[in-house]
Amino acid sequence: MSSTPPSPSLSTTTQNPPTPKPSSPPVPFLPSQAARIYSFAHPFLLLGLLGLRFDKLVADPVTELLNDLPFLALLQVGYVMTCLPPAGSGYAHGHGHSHKAVGETGGSGDSAGEEKRKTNPVVRAGKAGYRRRQQKGEAGGFSVKLIPALLSLTLIFLLATPVLSILLVLFGAPLTTHNFETVLCAAHMAVLSTTALIYVHGVDGAVWKEVWGIARPSDGVWGGALGTCVGAWFGAVPIPLDWDRPWQAYPITILTGAYIGFAVGSLIGRASFLYGKRIEFTPEELGIEKKVD
Amino acid sequence: MTSSKTGGSTDVSAGLNGLKTPASPIARSSSSHSMDQSDRKPEWPKQTTPGPQSRAAKSKGMQELRMKGMESEFKVKHLGLLGVLAWILFLHIVGIFFFTKGFLLTRMVLENKSSCDVLPFDSSSSHRIQKTGKHGEGCWHEKSFDKAVVLIIDALRYDFTVPFVPTAESESAHLFHDNIPILYETAVNKPENAFLLPFVADPPTTTLQRLKGLTTGTLPTFVDAGSNFAGTAIDEDNLVAQLRSAGKNLIHLGDDTWHALFPGYFDANLTRAYDSFNVWDLHTVDNGVIDHLLPLLHPNNATKWDVIFGHCLGVDHAGHRYGPDHAAMASKLRQMDELIRDLIAKVDENTLLVVMGDHGMDAKGDHGGESNDELDAALWMYSKRGGFGRVSPDTAMPPKFARERFIPQIDLVPTLSLLLGMPIPFNNLGSPIEEAFAGNDGKDWHNLVAVNRLTSAQIKGYQHEYAIARGEAEDQSSKLLALWETAEKDWQKLSKSKSNVPALRSAYDSYRKFQRHNLHVCRALWAKFDVPSMIQGIAVLASGITLLVIYARSINVDRTELTPTLLSSVGLGSGLGSVGGLLLGVLHLVDMPILEITCLSVALGSIVGAACVFFSDSRALSLPLPNSVWGWLAILFTVSQSIGFASNSYTIWEDEILLFFLTTFGVVAGVSSMRQKTTTDRVLGVYHSIIFVILSRIASFSRLCREEQMPFCRSTYYASATSSTSAPWQLAIPFLVTLIIPGVVKSFYAGSKSYEGAATLWIGFAFRLGLLVTSVFWTLEGADDGDWLPLSRDTLKSVRVFFAQVVLALAFAAGTTAFAYSKPCVSISVERSAAPEDDKSALPTEQPGKTTVTILGFGNIYGTRFFFLVVNFCLAITLMQKPMGQGAIGLMLWQILSLLEILDTNSLGTSNSAIGPVVLGLLGSFYYFKTGHQATLSSIQWESAFIPLSTVKYPWSPLLVILNTFGAQILAAIAVPLTVLWKRPLRTSEHGANLPSSPSDSSKSTKNPTTKILSDVIQAACTHILYLATINLATTMWAGHLRRHLMLYRIFNPRFMLGAAVLGVIDIVLMLVAVAGVRWNTLSVGEIFGW
Repeated sequence: MSSTPPSPSLSTTTQNPPTPKPSSPPVPFLPSQAARIYSFAHPFLLLGLLGLRFDKLVADPVTELLNDLPFLALLQVGYVMTCLPPAGSGYAHGHGHSHKAVGETGGSGDSAGEEKRKTNPVVRAGKAGYRRRQQKGEAGGFSVKLIPALLSLTLIFLLATPVLSILLVLFGAPLTTHNFETVLCAAHMAVLSTTALIYVHGVDGAVWKEVWGIARPSDGVWGGALGTCVGAWFGAVPIPLDWDRPWQAYPITILTGAYIGFAVGSLIGRASFLYGKRIEFTPEELGIEKKVD
Repeated sequence: MTSSKTGGSTDVSAGLNGLKTPASPIARSSSSHSMDQSDRKPEWPKQTTPGPQSRAAKSKGMQELRMKGMESEFKVKHLGLLGVLAWILFLHIVGIFFFTKGFLLTRMVLENKSSCDVLPFDSSSSHRIQKTGKHGEGCWHEKSFDKAVVLIIDALRYDFTVPFVPTAESESAHLFHDNIPILYETAVNKPENAFLLPFVADPPTTTLQRLKGLTTGTLPTFVDAGSNFAGTAIDEDNLVAQLRSAGKNLIHLGDDTWHALFPGYFDANLTRAYDSFNVWDLHTVDNGVIDHLLPLLHPNNATKWDVIFGHCLGVDHAGHRYGPDHAAMASKLRQMDELIRDLIAKVDENTLLVVMGDHGMDAKGDHGGESNDELDAALWMYSKRGGFGRVSPDTAMPPKFARERFIPQIDLVPTLSLLLGMPIPFNNLGSPIEEAFAGNDGKDWHNLVAVNRLTSAQIKGYQHEYAIARGEAEDQSSKLLALWETAEKDWQKLSKSKSNVPALRSAYDSYRKFQRHNLHVCRALWAKFDVPSMIQGIAVLASGITLLVIYARSINVDRTELTPTLLSSVGLGSGLGSVGGLLLGVLHLVDMPILEITCLSVALGSIVGAACVFFSDSRALSLPLPNSVWGWLAILFTVSQSIGFASNSYTIWEDEILLFFLTTFGVVAGVSSMRQKTTTDRVLGVYHSIIFVILSRIASFSRLCREEQMPFCRSTYYASATSSTSAPWQLAIPFLVTLIIPGVVKSFYAGSKSYEGAATLWIGFAFRLGLLVTSVFWTLEGADDGDWLPLSRDTLKSVRVFFAQVVLALAFAAGTTAFAYSKPCVSISVERSAAPEDDKSALPTEQPGKTTVTILGFGNIYGTRFFFLVVNFCLAITLMQKPMGQGAIGLMLWQILSLLEILDTNSLGTSNSAIGPVVLGLLGSFYYFKTGHQATLSSIQWESAFIPLSTVKYPWSPLLVILNTFGAQILAAIAVPLTVLWKRPLRTSEHGANLPSSPSDSSKSTKNPTTKILSDVIQAACTHILYLATINLATTMWAGHLRRHLMLYRIFNPRFMLGAAVLGVIDIVLMLVAVAGVRWNTLSVGEIFGW
């Protein structure tokens, strides 16, 4: 009832919601061979490493998480620098939301997703169209990539980790004990989920608004980020069971869930049948019916 | 709102040109809720509209007719909905009843007492006791001991007491083996002084139930029908009561459970009770028992007591804390060994020494279930002067394993009674222990026959009385009576032929056979589940849920339209069902009481009837699958929680899971709010989502841990884990609630400019005053507990009771009156010559210089008024909670308001999303735990019945306990209609264009908009019921399915009972309070604004 816009829009009885702000399109991986291969390998690499260190993690979570954090950060930075276009490179993100016509297609579609989007009318993604193929591509020098990476790391530890720590506590993590576990778990989750997001999108307000609204179009980056959170959510499920297993201790299952979620999300998010789609909370038809009602 | 197309009404009263509902900066509602005056103009304030007189008068008459028609239509339809709710309640009651009948084993408690002067034999044979008495002592039988020391070592498992025998080659002795050898040694070396036997408990193996069994001699059942409301004290005849009435001086040392069971029976000066709850403390209780027990055995103190009951808890606590296979257990057992050696050294010849476990423990050291390890305790009796014997060489040695040869625990009752010369308690089902009466050489057959005849006669008497109490004649042909006759014949033969051993033996065996057969029958009667009945119950509940799903989530038509057909069809079905049921019952085609079969077939008939209505028009049905994230979320919460109840872990940790779900909802709500188009929606939505989540987390700090949550949980509800009073700092919480919560409510009202009219008085003054008095009440309670004031307890109590009654009167008497008669929370002002506002809702045709009517609080006219009802109950429920719980209820009220705002900003109210009622259900369950409750019987705060009363008064006391126990769920249920009423735009029937048509015509052509309200409300209410009914069905099914589970009595059964009780209570509250309240609410709005 409430979201009815003021009368002007009533008179026009437009079926469309108010014109959306141009949203930034999904981000494909870099087209180079190395990037494509590594972008598939990276999630498995992380899972493999988690598997390798799992016993140590169970034995002494705090030490292990702390020791692993730099390596995880390095791996993630390596991953984004190898496989993804940095923010401001124009590849992923035109400055100031240049609104490109949909018809303008890139030359050789570098990802299956882009091609799919042309053939799949259901996909509501990329209303803004996607960017022209960037000449820069992977050209931009190392420093062009390093700065967003460093920015990303800084923000992760300054912003994402505290936010995720608070969320963990709100979801029921102990407040008076296990503080190191909580913060380290949050840090790992932040590195997993946020590195690529910041690297690719920088601090673009419109994108981050979409992130908070879980309204990003699906791609490898967003899939990984969302997967991390959903995985962590499911990771809490086995904790209460009375199996008396040492790995049931907080935060091991949550972290494992986050890692698995990241891997699954990264791989599924880029898959052609999802690429560019957005999560719908309510069907649009319903939304209109509601207003009329 | 968009019905503005019907605007341009022709009969617009001249002077009226606009409604202005000013927007506040925060009140997002204002502009979107502002009324399109075209919608509204015609019927509203008639008195202020000067119009063309004749036409106005005519239309006014019509109007009034129409109004009357609509009002009565509303009332009738409202009643119809109450009928539907009553039918749903009926289905739930029938389902729960049939399941319970098969599942909850019940036994009647007989008040009869055995008397010292009357032998248990038939009164017809007039066996008055011949007080020949060689010593003139002993009631029914000559007593063997004057005094007794009964030492219970809690959880003394049989295998702790016998030498370790490996069952498998590789098995080696555990830490708990061979640490308490004294029992076995004496039993083997001095058989005439001592014997040791496995002592098998009847489940549930909890100490309270065990003590009942050990003193009354009856079998435990989950519900002992007839026991008092609010009290664990044993009403039945029992050993302790018999000893007491025989004038013996009883002393109790140790576990304070005894005092709950036998209040006032023990010598107050010498008795020492210790808290039994603190399972982490292995030594306080034991050291207390030892320190006080040994001095009493000194000859100087011999005259001070007759029977001492000692109850050590160290072994049990070591088991709970460490498990049996731990060094702490070993040292605990060695300590017990030492204690028993000391006792043996100190007791005199006339004192019987009994050492026993009340139950065993499982491999992890816990108990409560019915595994052999938990059931197999040990019993050891010692007499310094001898007198014990073995009748056969087979029984000479204590059995190596518990299951080789054992006695049930209830055998202790007749044994101790007869040894101490007491009458056997009336309800006893046990048999005298052979070893205790067999004499030193094991050949005292006379004695054995005598005691067994006495016991058998007592049991027969009990069966006779029980049959009378049940209203059934004793079955004369039963095997039991036949056995009794045989035994009596054997005995009569005996009296002719003197003392020949085979005849004695045969009489003995006959009596034993009778006793054991009786026990077997009783076990079957009281410990067997009636599976068909359980299935019937589940079937009724499940089909009820199916219908509810269709009714609440799948019907597309207006539910009020459906009511007449539904009710008549249900009525027809019930009628046919009752006829069928009566026929079946009268003709004895089924083996059920007539009333039960009738109820069952009425339920089934009405289910079929309703199903016919629902499925007759398949176009009106849609698949009840959600079409939004919210619907899926509601299903996820309900279904995953229901599945979780199959696991004891998820049942134990329900409070944490609910927090997890609520936070999930809050986060999703925040995310969804981020997607909202308008900034106010977005900002308010995110703000309230954050508040919602944070409030849940704050509330989660109020905890009362159940035993199974240890050691991962710390109770904060009371001053400490071992007390049930509040800490001084907690007394500040009610004052904080008084300070903060009314202000919070006010801010929500102010958000839609609704803090007008009655709201200022009711929330600003009455609510605050009530909370203040409540705070004072609880401070006085704290002062009483802590002896802070120089006032007598009686004075304090009466002052408190007065305060509490004032609060209840304010909440219920004044509150209900106010709710019924108060006007909506709006303020209306009429201004002339108002300049056109920038308000967008103003029609462009508006001309300046006319009357402008400003209505404040218009945007939330239904919600704010209905919320009074929530406030009233909140006040009463707050009073009934402990200070910590009051904080929780305050937070809950806040959270409900936040939830309503979230629903509004995300357009979930008018779309009737299932999420609102379901999250209210989650909130209710969550705050149930946050108000110091758990899904256990022991967490019921019985003492809350005495908050506004000094004595137990029916029906008020149970109602007060319900208000305390289910307060959170009740509050949530009353808020359910708000999910569709909060910020609901006012809609009236008026459509100017066709006004002048005849009333009958118009009543057909224009739909009464209040029926839409009713339809929405009933949908929300049914969705809420659906959540609770699903939980109830799940817990019911799991309890039935897991009826042989170890944790049945501790976890699944209490959770089932909780689910059923909540469902029943909330069904009634929704029907009689929440949905009923919508009537006064809508009438009051209609009175002002028309229909």
